Parts: sequence; structure tokens; C-alpha cells
Amino acid sequence: MENYQGIAIFGEWTGIEIHESTYELLSEGRRLADELESSLNVLILGPPEAKEAAQELISYGADKVVATFDEKLKDFRDDIYAQVVAEMLKKYQPEIMLFPATSLGQALAPRVAGLLKLGLTAHCIAFEIRKEDRALIQIRPSFGEQIMARIVSRTKPQMATVRPGVFPHAQKIESHQGEFEIFEPSEKALVSALEVIEKKPKPKAEVDITKAKTIVAGGLGLGSKEYFQKLFELAELLDGAVGATRPVCHLGWVSEDHMIGVSGVNVRPKLYLGFGISGSLHHTVGLQGVETLVAINTDANAPLMKQADIAVQGDAKEILPLLIKKLKKLKSQREDD
Amino acid sequence: MRIMCCLKPVPKPGSVKIDPETHTLKREESELVLNPYDRYALEAAVDLAEKTGGRVVAVSMAPPNAKNILLEAFAFGADELVLVSDRAFAGADTLATSYTLACAAKKLGPFDLIICGKVSVDGETAQVGPELAAWLNLPSVTWVKEITPHEGYLDLVRTREFGEERLKARLPLVITIENEANIPRPPSIKRLLKQDEVEVKVLSAKDIEAQEDYLGLKGSPTQVVDTFAPEYQGKRELISGSAEEVSERLLSILKERGLI
Ligand SMILES: Cc1cc2nc3c(=O)[nH]c(=O)nc-3n(C[C@H](O)[C@@H](O)[C@@H](O)COP(=O)(O)OP(=O)(O)OC[C@H]3O[C@@H](n4cnc5c(N)ncnc54)[C@H](O)[C@@H]3O)c2cc1C
Ligand SMILES: Cc1cc2nc3c(=O)[nH]c(=O)nc-3n(C[C@H](O)[C@H](O)[C@H](O)COP(=O)(O)OP(=O)(O)OC[C@H]3O[C@@H](n4cnc5c(N)ncnc54)[C@H](O)[C@@H]3O)c2cc1C
Repeated sequence: MENYQGIAIFGEWTGIEIHESTYELLSEGRRLADELESSLNVLILGPPEAKEAAQELISYGADKVVATFDEKLKDFRDDIYAQVVAEMLKKYQPEIMLFPATSLGQALAPRVAGLLKLGLTAHCIAFEIRKEDRALIQIRPSFGEQIMARIVSRTKPQMATVRPGVFPHAQKIESHQGEFEIFEPSEKALVSALEVIEKKPKPKAEVDITKAKTIVAGGLGLGSKEYFQKLFELAELLDGAVGATRPVCHLGWVSEDHMIGVSGVNVRPKLYLGFGISGSLHHTVGLQGVETLVAINTDANAPLMKQADIAVQGDAKEILPLLIKKLKKLKSQREDD
Repeated sequence: MRIMCCLKPVPKPGSVKIDPETHTLKREESELVLNPYDRYALEAAVDLAEKTGGRVVAVSMAPPNAKNILLEAFAFGADELVLVSDRAFAGADTLATSYTLACAAKKLGPFDLIICGKVSVDGETAQVGPELAAWLNLPSVTWVKEITPHEGYLDLVRTREFGEERLKARLPLVITIENEANIPRPPSIKRLLKQDEVEVKVLSAKDIEAQEDYLGLKGSPTQVVDTFAPEYQGKRELISGSAEEVSERLLSILKERGLI
């Protein structure tokens, strides 16, 4: 009998720890489970040493953690990971299954969808529940057309991958109770045609703007690298970090570590100031978590200006140095007080 | 090595039309170009075929007006051109698309290797490659940036968030190609001159022995309910005036709100 129940999320083991995205899926999964009056389950795969970390996910809101631990699952291998997850889904039949849109999740989820012949919505940034039939409305950007699409799946589990950095990190609640269960996959599920020979970590990014409380970002409207450089001065005065659009990174005004958006990072500062940025969805999808959004643009109709809490119409090349001057003055006044 | 290379014709930027009823792209009415990421897939395929003495079969699932794209692929080095085209394919999501390509692969195969682009610039899901592999029961490796062929297997380097990963992958196999993988060659003049003589084979749903229930809109489990422009709260405050005025005003608002 088909009896789809519960929300499941995929827990990603990085080889060292649980990936950040798992905690984000836990928070959104918990919200959906509560709204549907259902349970939140984590499906997790890894080597035996991942066990302790997997069990700990219960204290982040999981009602049940289902795990398969095997040396063969030490590294991500597309074929066996998908086979094991497909077997888990056949057994547990959740009504919703969410994967992170990490490099692992984006390789794994469609393989699972293909094996089980299920629909899969890519890179979602929000979910809604349609009350009348419990359908999961999956919202994803359609960048080419600068619009969002609401998508539903006719098959169950309703599956989606979720853009990392969009949902908040789940809170730890020591008192939360849940079950831990080991799932034994079939022998043939663990047969792989792939062998991981070597992992080469890239040098750590010089800067990490994802944790900054204030971000001053610049786009092509700043006109030149020289003006862009002034953002660093402003950022220092505001104790913040510098963000950028993709074209300015490609022009070499600043390194790609500063890029915000689909090809860059998501940021969630209290304050974001965007100078000379048009507000393409490619960029703004990375601004989901911004509390107060300020845009400075000559064009009052630029998309970022429409989206802003405070839209400042004017020449960013003039306003930026003025803000720096005024803030310096303010700072010295405050110090004098 | 016999290689299938999947090439997606996509609407030329700016010419996209969406069907107001089904919310799917109206591909027949858009001017089509080759998905830019598939140039790297094609280059990888042609390069491997040259190295191993193989052939490249370029395959697109698209409306009839996509023939030009395949002729372009010929100029870039593809040996055989196949357009899988049928009204029944309209409105396909990634599952229905990958099913159709899988049926074509069975019909045209066997292949040692199937190569896809990293992602399309219109649907932007990056799902077709791994789904195609699942339909064919083949292993898959995504985001490949280096390929070294060996007897019966490939030595691959794939990109991951943390850096790179090297793997040994047994053939037959499905891979998707990173845009850093190579620098695509320009079209060959000799091949451009021969474009009139080459044939684009057109295959229908029946030709590839596809089951109708899995095709097009009908075979697509995901459905677009509606589309909308991102909403704005409408509480925005617009400040205009001289640079001096607006900077003063901005700072005082930020101070009021305790943000600076
Ligand atoms: C707004 C919007 C949102 C959508 N969201 C989803 C969604 O979330 N889930 C879903 O299942 N579908 C979705 N679709 C439908 C999906 O985009 C289809 O177009 C599907 O046919 C191909 O998927 P893709 O463009 O994402 O390809 P990708 O998976 O991004 O393409 C990767 C590679 O697959 C190969 N390939 C893809 N299509 C073809 C083809 N027709 N012929 C030859 N090779 C090909 C190419 O090598 C390409 O580089 C959406 C469509 C729209 C308009
Ligand atoms: C596959 C893909 C992935 C992408 N990924 C990303 C990504 O991750 N991040 C990203 O940011 N982009 C990304 N892009 C690019 C994105 O589509 C936009 O092109 C880009 O965000 C626009 O950058 P911009 O706002 O700096 O420039 P523009 O769009 O050129 O905007 C410049 C703005 O400055 C204003 N302006 C001009 N002069 C002045 C002045 N003197 N003072 C004030 N304002 C002025 C103009 O009115 C305009 O609004 C991607 C594109 C593709 C195709």
C-alpha cells in the first residue's frame, strides 16, 4: 500500500562533519512538518565515523534519523548514494523529500528522481503548503525571465533541491526527542562503477562575506575600479564587508570571493547598501536574508530600487565619497562625546 | 569510443515566450541557439573521439527549427546529427526530457560515453544528465573538468565546493562537463563548406520506441502552477535630490533605525 507520510531531508556528510545545508533543511523541514502536522526525518549516508554527528541531528529538530553507515559510503559516489537513497525512499515513503542544492545534492537528487521516476524541482528558495490537498508548492527563480515560478509535483515523494544559504540554521534544542534507526541497503545497492582516488581542497577563500552584519556592495554603475575601491573605506567605517555583482568581479575590480548571487554566495546582513547595481535576479537571489536593503542608483526604476526599503536616486560616484566623509565626521564626533 | 553528445537548443536571450496556459516555454516560437554550456560538452566529445579514434553522435530533443543547431555542431566536429522531434515531446520537464534522450540513446547506441552540458541557460536545473544516466542504468559523474581516457575507464577530475575530486569511472558512463574543461575550437571551414551535404536524421517518438505516457507534458510530474515577479513590500522610501541632500537624508534614516 502506498502511504506517504512525513517530511524527509537529506543529511550531507562532508567527510569531516555534517554540511551546513543540512541544518538549513532541518529548519525549513521542521516548519513544513509542523504546518502539515507531520514528522521530520533525516536520511543520512556516510562511513561509520559519521554516526555520532548523525545522532546529534535529533537535537536540531529531527523526529527520526535514518542512517546507513558503510566504509563504501565514505566518499560521495553518485551511483551508490542514489541507490541507497532510492531504497530508503521506497521503504519510508515520505510525502516530501528535500535535498540540498550543493554539488553533492545536485548530482544525487536527479539520479534518485530518475531511478524512482519522480518529479524534482531544482534550486528552490521558498515553499508553501496548499491547504486543500497538502501539495508542496515549490518556488524557484527563473533567471532568464526575471521571475519566480511556483511548481508542484504529481508524484510522491514530492522532491526538490534547496538553494544553500536561503533558510536559517536550525536551533539546537537539547530536550528534543527522536528516534535513531539504521537502514540496511541491499548488497547490490553498494556496488559502484566509480572510485574516488583523491580529493584536492582549494585554498580557503581570503574573505568570507556571508557572516557580515553590514554589506556595502557595488556594481557596474560605479564606473571604475577606482570608485569601487572606495567601498572598502565605507565598509571599514561601518564595520562591514564588501560585496559585488558578477560583472565587476569579471572586470577584475575585486576578487570573486566578494560575489553575491547564484554564482557567488548568499548573504544575510542586517544592512545591505547596493551602489550602482541593477538588481538582476541572478544577484538578488543571494539577498534573501537581508533585513534592510538600500539601493543607490540613478535610475529610480531599476529592479533593485523597486525592491529596496530605502531607494536613493542619485549618482553613486558622488554619493559614496560623501557618505564616507560624513561618516568619518560622525565617528569623530562620537569619539569626542 | 562511440560518444553521444546531448545538445540543448535554447531560446535566444530576449526571444523567450511563455505559454500563458501551461507556463512552459514556447520553444517553437523562439529563435533558437545552442545552450552555451553545451559547446564545452561538444568540445570534450570531439576531443575524446579524436584521441581514441571514435565518433560523436550529436543529439537534440527539440522542434524542427533546431536543425541549424545540429548543423552548427557538425562544423564544430560532430560526426552524426540526430534531431529527436515530435509534438508529443512538448512541455517536457527534466524527467520526460531525460526519458526521451534515454530512448534515443538506446536506439542509436550502444555508446561508450554520453556527454551533457553542465546546465542549460533556460531551465537551469542541471538535472537532465544524472536523470538520463538513471534511466539507462549507467553511472554518472557531474561537473567534470578533466578527462583522461583509458581502456574501459576514464580518469576524471570533477569540481566540488571544497575543491576538486579525482575519480576513476568505468565505461559506459554519463558525464556532465564544466565550462572550465576546455576552450572550444572555432568551426572548421572545411566542414562549414560541407554543411549542405550532411544529413540531420529526424526521429519521432515512434522511431525511438518511446512509451507515450512518459513523454512531454503528460509524462512530466512537475508542473508550473504560475509565475510571478518577485514581490516588493511596497513600503519603500524613495529619496531624491542633490547628492549632498540624499546622503544626509540616508544617514539620518539609518541612524534613526539604529543601523549605523
Ligand atoms: C520556469 C521554469 C522552471 C522549470 N523548473 C523545472 C524543475 O524544477 N524541474 C524540472 O524537472 N523541470 C523544470 N522545468 C522544465 C525544464 O527546464 C525542461 O526544459 C527540460 O526539458 C530540460 O531541463 P533543463 O533545461 O533544466 O536542462 P539541464 O538539466 O539544465 O541541462 C543539462 C544538459 O542536459 C542536456 N539537455 C537538456 N535538455 C536537452 C534537450 N532537449 N536535448 C538535448 N540535450 C538536452 C544538455 O546537454 C544540457 O547541457 C522548468 C521550466 C521552466 C520554464
Ligand atoms: C548564468 C549566469 C549567472 C550569473 N550569476 C551572477 C551572480 O551570481 N551574481 C551577479 O551579481 N550577477 C550574476 N550574473 C549576471 C547578472 O545577470 C547581471 O548581469 C549582473 O548582476 C548585473 O550587474 P550590475 O548590476 O553590476 O550591472 P548592470 O546590470 O549593468 O547595472 C548597473 C546599474 O547601475 C546604474 N548606474 C549607472 N550609472 C550609475 C551611477 N553613476 N550611479 C548610480 N547608478 C548608476 C544603472 O542604472 C544600472 O541599474 C549571472 C549571469 C548569468 C548569465
